Amino acid sequence: MDASLRPDPLELVCPAGTPAALRAAVDAGAHSVYCGFRDETNARNFPGLNFSPEELEAGVAYAHARGVKVLVAINTFARPGAVEVWRDSVDAAAIAGADALILADLAVLDHAAAHHPELRLHLSVQAAAGTPEAIHFYTETFGIKRVVLPRVLSVEEIARLNREVAIETEVFVFGGLCVMAEGRCLLSSYATGKSPNRVGVCSPPSHVTYGDEDGCLTARLGGFTIDRYGADEPAGYPTLCKGRFRTDNDYEDHLFGDPLSLNAATLLSGLQAAGVKAVKIEGRQRGKAYTAQVVRAFRRAVELVAQNRATDDIQALLAPLSEGGGDTTGAYQKTWR
Amino acid sequence: MPRALPRGALPAAIGTVVRPLPRLPLAIALTLAIRGLARRRPELFERLRSFSERPVAVVPTDLPIAFLIVPAGADAIVEVVHPDDAGDAVATARAPLLVLLGLLDGTYDGDALFFSRDLSIDGETDAVVALRNALDDAELTPAELIGVDGALGRVFERAVGDALRVAWRLAGAPATSMATES
Repeated sequence: MDASLRPDPLELVCPAGTPAALRAAVDAGAHSVYCGFRDETNARNFPGLNFSPEELEAGVAYAHARGVKVLVAINTFARPGAVEVWRDSVDAAAIAGADALILADLAVLDHAAAHHPELRLHLSVQAAAGTPEAIHFYTETFGIKRVVLPRVLSVEEIARLNREVAIETEVFVFGGLCVMAEGRCLLSSYATGKSPNRVGVCSPPSHVTYGDEDGCLTARLGGFTIDRYGADEPAGYPTLCKGRFRTDNDYEDHLFGDPLSLNAATLLSGLQAAGVKAVKIEGRQRGKAYTAQVVRAFRRAVELVAQNRATDDIQALLAPLSEGGGDTTGAYQKTWR
Repeated sequence: MPRALPRGALPAAIGTVVRPLPRLPLAIALTLAIRGLARRRPELFERLRSFSERPVAVVPTDLPIAFLIVPAGADAIVEVVHPDDAGDAVATARAPLLVLLGLLDGTYDGDALFFSRDLSIDGETDAVVALRNALDDAELTPAELIGVDGALGRVFERAVGDALRVAWRLAGAPATSMATES
């Protein structure tokens, strides 16, 4: 293909739960890194994770010195009576020099658009905006420049959507996979009393216990047994949506979703052809070893796709890092239909 | 048929050698190392917040010892005890020693080790998660842990890194590109 006719290379958006992970992502080839503050304003509010304002400023300096952008996720929904916590985070990210904010809450979007008009706004996957009408609303009201699409659309549906919206689209291509509509799932909230959409933690570790029972690893969330793994069986995250349940007729399986990671490496070319601007790796809760390996593999893959060449088989390379030791292309192919 | 050793486990003979050794000198050395680290880099312990006073047991499953750690910065305490005597811990992480060392230096991802069942945890999960995240951000090097820097520190780090890579390979530790690359 004539180089001038090729679409722009996919932007690789990579996770950073700590300053060390940010540096690992930058060094491994990220085009952009996303991260959040050490509080309930972002959707990976795990103990020991995330950034102070000072750490974010240092991280931005490190990334910018190497030509990498930093996107700050402030993507939980503000608590009534405490919206200033979210507003303060927006202001702190602007002061730190963030290249864009990833937001979901209407009040937070309104504050950012009104007080930081120079800042790029991305609509978080937490907003679950998967229709042209919803995306138009956010674009016209708050001037968002990019939408992170919910993980419920096929590649064909994304292509159709891209023909009807004027802004950039970003999609997840690797990592943890929510099988519910993001931002609207209440399963963890039901089991623990803490809403992931407000406090930023799905299956908070404070409510998770593991134990060895009859030779099986038993995972519980808020006192509910959600899975029992045999001695050599790969484990998954302790989320209700990936739990194993028994029905009335004694059928036992992962009824909502299997404990697998999303891996759309084989679909990068199709996603680019569908008009996607950026591809995102999930995993701010993961260690820097995960970050470095996944980012390195996907950077090579997006470069090969940009050259119209076949990607390496990175499925096997990344399998040891995957939840449950396996992966799926999720809704992108909808093979279950 | 004898049960296969866990991935990365040391030969049983090493446990036999370690068993009679006095534990107090190792406990004192590790306590001093962590307190020294806290004085040099106090920000590392800010990540632990309310978890800094909660004792966590780290148990190398291939050795007859356990490390009972209270990660309270400059007041940190490390006790080296028999695995059965780590009952004061609010949470326990278990894996072969070489796997635990790979977690400490950031070679391994904790979630991946958990998925593959190379690492197990019980007790208060949040205490283990907080400690894991703080360690992952720390980017600890062997030289930094013992307070050696400069050329001597670099030589020490290279030697420990080379030795660990050989040990991971010989012991069949879980594969990662970082554990095997030279």
